[in-house]
Amino acid sequence: MGAYYCAICNQTTFCGKKKHIFGKNHQSRLRVVLLKFTEKVKEARRTLKRPQVEKFDCTQHKQKFWCYCCGLEVERDVTDDNMTVMYGGLLEHMATREHRNSTYKFWWDNKADPKLRDRVLITEEETERFKAEVAKVLESFVEKEDEYIKQQADVIRAQEKHRQEVFQCLLEPNEERELSNGPSSTDPSVEVSVSSQFQSQVSEQQVGSRFDPIIEAPWTLAGRSLTFIGYQDSSSSGNVHTGAVPPWLQEDPLEGPSGAAAQAEIGPSLQEFLKQKEQEKLRKLPPNRVGANFDHSSHTDANWLPSFGRVWNSGRRWQSRHQFRQEEGQKNKQKRKREHATSGSKTTKPAKQAPSSDI
Amino acid sequence: MSFFLPKLTTKKDIDEVIKAVAEKVLVLRFGRDDDSVCLQLDEILSKTAHDLSNMASIYIVDVDKAPIYTRYFDISYIPSTVFFFNGQHMKVDYGSPDHTKFVGSFKTKQDFIDLIEVIYRGAMRGKMIVQSPIDPQNIPKYDLLYHGI
Repeated sequence: MGAYYCAICNQTTFCGKKKHIFGKNHQSRLRVVLLKFTEKVKEARRTLKRPQVEKFDCTQHKQKFWCYCCGLEVERDVTDDNMTVMYGGLLEHMATREHRNSTYKFWWDNKADPKLRDRVLITEEETERFKAEVAKVLESFVEKEDEYIKQQADVIRAQEKHRQEVFQCLLEPNEERELSNGPSSTDPSVEVSVSSQFQSQVSEQQVGSRFDPIIEAPWTLAGRSLTFIGYQDSSSSGNVHTGAVPPWLQEDPLEGPSGAAAQAEIGPSLQEFLKQKEQEKLRKLPPNRVGANFDHSSHTDANWLPSFGRVWNSGRRWQSRHQFRQEEGQKNKQKRKREHATSGSKTTKPAKQAPSSDI
Repeated sequence: MSFFLPKLTTKKDIDEVIKAVAEKVLVLRFGRDDDSVCLQLDEILSKTAHDLSNMASIYIVDVDKAPIYTRYFDISYIPSTVFFFNGQHMKVDYGSPDHTKFVGSFKTKQDFIDLIEVIYRGAMRGKMIVQSPIDPQNIPKYDLLYHGI
């Protein structure tokens, strides 16, 4: 009764190995593990009959996989840095004797399903067959690669030839000059027309070094078609090479009398500048503050009253103003009534008495 | 009465001040210069005016000189202090019946400073009514009488 560590559950059990293995937890984990493992092996088996060989790709082809039975990390593919046999490593490992032994042990220890066991093993006959197939496929792969390289070479040669022909067109008008420069230069120009790789390389070097004199020749040829406008005499005022003042910085001859206005200062005046400063400060204030859009310079008449929420009012503030104006109006009316009453009392009396007599 | 605080005597002056003070709290003290409580309040106002100069502008108004505002603001006890920000009236809940103005004097200068700060912050956030930071014990008590129309 010791502590036993189960690699599949990643747990330590203290009750004993056998008891733990029959538990539900262990069995379910085991099933998952086996599923994953057999998936990988299935892929590999598909290539048994038809091995896959590919050009070596360093990012993809050096992957390893974990063999649960042996407890080892094994390289999945076999490669010699030029070509890879996909899943070669996996198949090789599965064929070894040690792997066979450890697989049996793993199955017995964990009490896994024996039917699945054969999927993980690969027999010797299968390996022999696989090796033969691999040899064949490798040969054909190598042949294909060679063909591809040859094709590329043809394409490159054709491009080179085209370029030489283009140079020829440039060379032809100057061949007379070239001949006079020296007999040594004619030999490479003749060789240029021969399309062979080695010679084209040499001629390319020669052409590269001679390119500078060639450049001048075409440009001077084309110069015959430009219009000649005369020899510019700038000895009086000087030109850019003598370091004279440029015309746009000189005094404008047209601007004689108005020169004073142009001397006036540019830019905003002091007032505007101060205003701008104030505006900057305002911009920094929060935009949702009270009275943000209050126009401080608006002209209001003598009857203006500020927005005030009166004591016994609830609701909008303009109502208080409204109500106040009403109250003021009523007060004025009452005052006027009293004045009317004192002055017009004599006139009302006879009017009142008349109707009363009718009744 | 204070020699440092500016005084307003006509409605026109008051209007101009209300419109002109920008981005600062406007404090209008309504009262009489010879009233004892007004004198206490004026002393507090004038002593704190300089420190609060970036946040508030303080003005003195005599209630007899501008009767229209005395009626409009419903001033029945003096001194009464009304607060404005950018032409908008700021209400403050002191725990007293009247939120539209502060009636009476402050107990300490710090009370007044705290109140101004709270009003300023509230105004910057867009609040037109704020909660007073002054201890309710220090707020003068009065009865608010309703005059029927």
